[in-house]
Order: sequence, then structure tokens, then C-alpha cells
Amino acid sequence: MAKKEKRKATTAETDSPKHIADRIKKSAEKMVKQINNLEDPEFTTMQRGKSNVIWDEKKGFLELGNKEVTRTFLNIAHARKFMQTTMIMEKTRNYLEHNKTASIREIYYELKHTVADTKENTFEEQSESDTIIVDLEHSVDTIREKLNLHANPKGTLYGDITLLDRMHNNDKFNASKLGRGGWSIMSRVEPEEIEIVDSSAEYLLVCETEAIYERLIEEGYPKKNNCILIGIGGQAARGARRLIHRIHNELELPTIVFTDGDPYGWYIYSVVKQGSMALAAHSEFMSVPDAKYVGMTMDDIEDYQLEMVTERMSEGDIKRAKEMLAYPWFQNKEWQAQLKKSVEKKVRVEQQALANKRLDFVATHYLPEKIRNKNFLP
Amino acid sequence: MSENSKNSGTKPNNGAVDNLEKEFKEHSVAEFFKKNKQMIGLYGKIRTLTMVVHEYVTNSLDACEETGILPNIDVKIDELGDEYYEVTVTDNGPGISLDNVGRAFGKLLAGTKFHRMMQSRGQQGIGASGCTMLSQMTTGKASKIITGQDGHKPIALELVIDPKLNEPKISNVKELDKEFRGTSVQAKFKGCLYRDSDQGALEYLRRTAIANPHAQISFRDPLGQKTVFKRTHNVLPERPTEIKPHPKGTTIDDVLTYCKTTKGRTVASFLNNDFDRMGAKGIEEIRKRVKFDLNKDPKLLTWEEAEEIVKAFKVINVIAPSTDALRPIGEEQIGKSLQNIVQPEFLTVLTRKPTVYAGGYPFQVEIAIAYGGGAGKKVGDQTSMDIMRFANRVPLLFDNGNCALTKAIQSIDWKRYDIKDPSTAPVTVFVNFISVHIPYTGAGKQAIADEEEVLEEIRLALMQTGRKAGIYIAQKRRSFENQQKRLMFYKYIPEVCKALSAITNENEENLKKKMEQMVLEKLKIDEKKEEEERKKAEKTIANDDNSFIAKKPKKEEQKKKSKK
Repeated sequence: MAKKEKRKATTAETDSPKHIADRIKKSAEKMVKQINNLEDPEFTTMQRGKSNVIWDEKKGFLELGNKEVTRTFLNIAHARKFMQTTMIMEKTRNYLEHNKTASIREIYYELKHTVADTKENTFEEQSESDTIIVDLEHSVDTIREKLNLHANPKGTLYGDITLLDRMHNNDKFNASKLGRGGWSIMSRVEPEEIEIVDSSAEYLLVCETEAIYERLIEEGYPKKNNCILIGIGGQAARGARRLIHRIHNELELPTIVFTDGDPYGWYIYSVVKQGSMALAAHSEFMSVPDAKYVGMTMDDIEDYQLEMVTERMSEGDIKRAKEMLAYPWFQNKEWQAQLKKSVEKKVRVEQQALANKRLDFVATHYLPEKIRNKNFLP
Repeated sequence: MSENSKNSGTKPNNGAVDNLEKEFKEHSVAEFFKKNKQMIGLYGKIRTLTMVVHEYVTNSLDACEETGILPNIDVKIDELGDEYYEVTVTDNGPGISLDNVGRAFGKLLAGTKFHRMMQSRGQQGIGASGCTMLSQMTTGKASKIITGQDGHKPIALELVIDPKLNEPKISNVKELDKEFRGTSVQAKFKGCLYRDSDQGALEYLRRTAIANPHAQISFRDPLGQKTVFKRTHNVLPERPTEIKPHPKGTTIDDVLTYCKTTKGRTVASFLNNDFDRMGAKGIEEIRKRVKFDLNKDPKLLTWEEAEEIVKAFKVINVIAPSTDALRPIGEEQIGKSLQNIVQPEFLTVLTRKPTVYAGGYPFQVEIAIAYGGGAGKKVGDQTSMDIMRFANRVPLLFDNGNCALTKAIQSIDWKRYDIKDPSTAPVTVFVNFISVHIPYTGAGKQAIADEEEVLEEIRLALMQTGRKAGIYIAQKRRSFENQQKRLMFYKYIPEVCKALSAITNENEENLKKKMEQMVLEKLKIDEKKEEEERKKAEKTIANDDNSFIAKKPKKEEQKKKSKK
């Protein structure tokens, strides 16, 4: 529990690049000391995955537990990862010192080479360096962005919201005036880089598919309904989640999520709302426990006579639904009912199935009606 | 039948019948051979040439051993044209007189071995004459023979077989004016093929040399490549002795065959004289069990009476057969010759005690397991388990899958002996099956029938030797794994040190040294454990006279290598 107290990520004074670089250095110095004493050097990070994820019902999001894992060099199973860890430590510290940022693919390519006198590469696939990066984030108690690393940006923002980009000539812009595509959400949207200036919107609508995002803009939905629209294009990237979190909290806007009606879509909603298992440590800064779910639901199929345009669930979908039935954060009667119904009927319904009524049906009827009637799932 | 009707008398013309029978028999042997050469193993282009070499070499070995000469055998194969070869086999044996040379090379089924209960290389004596026949059939040429006996001038001659009469025809006999003792046979063959393969003459001779450490064998292949398998044992094997058939392994047909040639005047004396372990007590037991009088002339025994005897044999108590006739190669000799020819890292040999199959045939099994070094079958970079089968010292190269020896080896769970996958293991398994009567599956004499006792005996022997091999292999694997571990840790050290040094400004070289020291110290603990196990294993093996570990290259050399 003491350790738990210590884990207080991303507070301004402990999270400057200098601080993080120092933490990496400290960790390296500890290893050097161990080596000089002919002891097996250690690298400690937080255990991730289901076994160390805690569902905090009161806070309404997933949190990382305090189980630690220690990786040592003199362990056949760890040696290679240990080497990779020291390489990532060195490189990110270097970025921080020289004020450089890189994508996680760039750092992978920068560090990839043949290990001397072998046929083995330092990293064979990007997934290897990606895992080490997450290890390091957790080890030095920060987020990837503060290590000057970023994933490929994903997600778009549209609507009446004014932002200020401190990293680019202090550009000030309104996301409804950037053309039909809106603003492409950066992977780093921390306050010291992107400032939210103001907005007249009444709520934030988060939309799973880019196609519906575009449909809603074409129909003038954001303007007519006075909302901000974020398209996340499948599973929400870190930048998008951070921005949703910030808009929700800083502008105090209700957040409504709109996904496909299947286990995959519902899980996307739960990640936006309660956080993900992989990034449970960062839920506090990314999740939106107050978010509401507008659709698609199993009930929509009957309510909107969509029986003809449902799809069969794959075996994988059904398996996923069954797993989700057991997740503690899906233990409420509404979601249990949705999941059970999907397993029973073995059907899923996409957002775009609404086009079966009329192209603009989603913008003129479905969303306005459901939102007006507060026909939400929790 | 026609003879009878022609003479119209009740007495057949005995002389005419005898002649006809003789002619018929001789005619059929050679003709039969001509039409059915595949039955005696002379089929397949590669196999044919190997079998020819086998027949000549077997003759040479037998001739030398019977006269107490340490064999030197020289084999040459020359390519004369497309699928056309000349085989020359020369030995230092006693030589053959002109009177006997025809019988040795020019008469089919002339051997003396067929009805002898004695451990021998061949069993049907079709060998060298079969080659003469094959040569003249495929090329029309005579076989050339040079033979010299002590105290005589050597003679050269040419020889063919008259297939109708099954009689040799000798021509161009010349006395040579030089010193030579031994026999050299040279014959040409068409429609065959020489290959340096598993089933080729070279491999055949290599295995022959392994099973006959008292012989020196040299070989020159069609490309002029010469290989010499040196003699490793200077003592001739003891000659096997002839034994009588044991009652328990006798069939009705056997009884009827033996009774034709017996000197016994009564069935009782026939049983006493012609069978192993049959004394007065045994004969009394039989007398009680058969319905006819044992004083009967054995030559007049009927099928039914023979059947009664065999039935009685099955139930009466008879002492186990004498195993005096068996002549194993011996553990020491097998060990020496495998070390010489296969050059493995580790070797363990076992000659089991004689036992009996099918109730009456004594047999004995010799097994060796060789590991590492030159052991195993090597094809390109791949090494797999090599199975060397022998029957009375004769290598069996063909019909692998049908053979009881192979089946026994395959039925072993090699994992128990630390051989994870026989198809990738550097292992040679040597099996010599010794018996007065080898239960071959066919006249090709290349596979042994799976008699239950035979399979079980081989399995027992394999398990016994397998355990010893397993101890060595496990120990070696552990030390190999330790080595691998060290290398694995070492290879990551430079990158770790480079990174840590860049972050902390610590001297990179110092860090490297420290890390290597750290790895070694950690492995030392593991090595200590491993060393103890190694010592224990080596002690077990060293206490065993039949296992040998090849001398390893000096440790210093290995260290030097790894330092680089």
C-alpha cells in the first residue's frame, strides 16, 4: 500500500523531462552498482494484465494494482529483455536530454540492429520494443508521452471548440473551421502542449467509426445539435482518450459514446469510460467514468426494426462477449442484459445499419431522439 | 508316370529314373535360378553389385577362417561402360585345387552348409556360383579365376556354368610363373550400378570390417578412390562347431529330412543320434506318446508318424540346447573395431548370453551403441540414427523395414536414454544376431523374421546398453547446455554495457569485465553441480569394461577457442 501511495503519476513538479531522465538514470545507476558488486542487476516494473488490475467501483475506473515484477539479467528467460530494456532506457533518456520526440516505430528502427557475433537482432519486431516501452513507463512512473515517445496519432476532432497549440507558434484554432475533416488529434495532448481555450458545445459525442463521424458532419449534426464530435476510428488511441478526458473535465461537458452494437464496440466504450487493462495505471488521466452510452444496443434492433440488417456474430465475438460478462466493470443489469442477449441471438448491429432507414436517419432521428429522451446505457 | 506305363512292369527301371531325377534336379536348379534371380537377392541395380561383392567376400572370409589364415581381402570395382562393371576380389586364402574350383564357382547349390546345424555366414551356398551365372547371363563372358595353393604354382582359368547340367565348364587353364597364394576372381556384370550409398559396396565392406575385426579389407571404387579397413584384432575367431537340431525347434518336415540321412537303424537310435539333448530318458518319454514302434526303420517314417514325434517333442522335458556352436564377435573386438572405423565419442558394447528361439534354435545377440564423433548416418548437414544390422557377422543392408532387428530398435523409447529424436541423433546402433539358423524372411537373406524371443532379447540388450549411453549423453547435454547458457548471456553483455555506460558514464570496458565475471560466477555454481554429476557418470561408465569414452581434445584448446 505504501508503494501504491508513491505511484502518483503525472503531477507537474515530478514529471518534468529532467525528473524523468533522472529517474531513468537512477535506475541505471542501481544496475551498475549491482554489476560492480557482481550481483545480478535488476529492473523493476509494475505487473500488468488482468491479474494486477483492480476495478475501483467508487472511482469508476480500472486501476493498476501494486504487484511488481523484477527482471534480472542472469535468467535465461529474461536476459534478452533485460538488454532491450537498457537500450530503451538509454535512448529515451537521450531524447529527453536533447528535447527530441520520436514515434514508437522510430525508436524501434533506431535501436534495431544485429547483436554482435550473432544472427539475432536487438529487436525483431516492433511489438518487442513496444512492450519494453510500457515496462519503462510503469517503472519510472510516467506515461509514454513524457518519455518523449508517441504512437501514431489516431482520431479526429470536429465542432465548436477552440484549442491552442503551444508547440506550434501558439496557433489558436476552432475545430469547426478546419474543413470537413476536422482536427487530427495528436498523440500528445498534454495541457503544456495543447490548451483548451473554450467551447460553446453542450455535449461531447464520441463515435467509433470514421464513416459515421463523416456522415454526422455532412448532415451538419454538430452544429444543429451544438456538440463536439470525436471520431476514434476503432479502439481509442491514447491521445484521443486523453483529449476526451480533458474536454469532459475541463469544459465539464457530458460525454456520450456511440459505437457498433457488438462486444468489440461495447468494449471500446468501456475503455473510454473506465480505462483499459493495458493502461490501467493511467486511467485516472484518461477515463471518463461519467460517460453514457447511446448505441447501438440490442434493443435498437427491435425499436428501429433493424432485424434485416443485423450481422451474425463470429465465434470470436461470442467468446469475447462471454469474457466480458465476467468482467467486474460489466456487472450491472443493463450491460449483463445486452451481452446475454447478444450471445443468445448471436447477432450484432453496426452503426451504419441505420442507413437502411435513410442516410441521414442517424443524424435526424436516431441520435437526436435517443439523446433527447436520455435513452442511455450506463 | 510315363516311365511306368512304358515299361508296363511293376518294377520301375531304377537307372533311368535316377538319371531323369538327376537331370531334372540339375536342370531345375540352374534354370530356376535364371528365372528367379530376385529370390536370392539379385535384384535392383545397386543391390546386385553389392550382393556380388558379398558373395565373393563371404567365400574368401570362410576359406581363410577354415584354414586358420588371417584374411586380407582386396576388392576392386571397375566401370567398363553404361551399367557395366567388373568386380575383382582377391584373398590370401588357401587357394583351390583345379579339381575343386568348378565346384566352388560353377555349381549351384553345391555348398555343404545347407543341412549343417552350424553358425555360418551363408546358408544356401548359392553365392559365388550364382555370380558366375549372373555374369555369363548378363555379359556372355566367363569368370576369370586365379588361384594358388601353398607349394603349387598358381593357375589361371576361365569358367562358365552349363545351365542345363548345372556343371562348370573350365577353359584356358594356365599355370602362372609367379608366387601367389589365395584366390582371385574377376567377373563382369551388366545391368547393375555402383553407388557410394547406404546400400553400396563400400558401406557393405565397412560394415563387414566392423563385424570382422580380424580381417583386413581394402576397396578401390570405380573412380579409383581407395579405402583400407585395417585389422584391429590379430586372432581368428574360434570355428563354430556343428550341432544337432534341438527337439523343441524341429518341424515335421525337418524330421522327415533328417531321417533320410541318419545312420540310425531304428527310430529310437535316430532320435538318439541325430537330435541334441535326446537321451534314453527322453526316448522313453517319446515311446509312451507315439502309437508306432520306435524300433521301426527311420527311413520308412511316414508323415503321420513324424507328426506324432514332433507333438511328443513339444510336451516332453528336454534340456535347453547347447550353445557351444555360437561364436559371438565379442565385446572387446566389437569395441575395438567400432572405435577404429566409426570413431565415436562414446561407445558401449554388450554380448548377451545365448538363448533359444522357437523352442530349439540357439541364438545370441550382440549390441553396441556409439554416440557422437563419427557415429550416426550423415547426409549433408543432417545426422540421424544409423542402424547396422548383422546376421552371423554378415551386414544386412536391405529390407530394413521388414527386419526384426530394426523393429526391435524402433520399438525402444529412446527418450528414456536421452536420445530425444532418433532421426536427428548422432547414434550408431550395432546389432549382430548370431544363430545356427537365422530365421530370414526370404531367400534374399536381408531381413530377420520377428520371432518373439528374438525381439525381446534384442530389446533387453538395447535397454541395457541404452542406459549406459543415456548416462553419457545426459551428462554431455548438460555440459553443452551450460556452455550455451554462458554464450547466451555473453552475447547480450556488450549492448547492456553500452547502454548503461551511456546513461551513467561508467567505464564500458570495466562494466563488461564485471558482467562476464558475474556470469561466470553464477554459472560456476551450476557447473559445480554439473561437474559432480559428470564425475558420477564417468565413474559409472569407467567401471564398466564395455564402455569407452573417446579422449577429448584438451580443455585448454577449448578455452582458447571460446575466448576468441
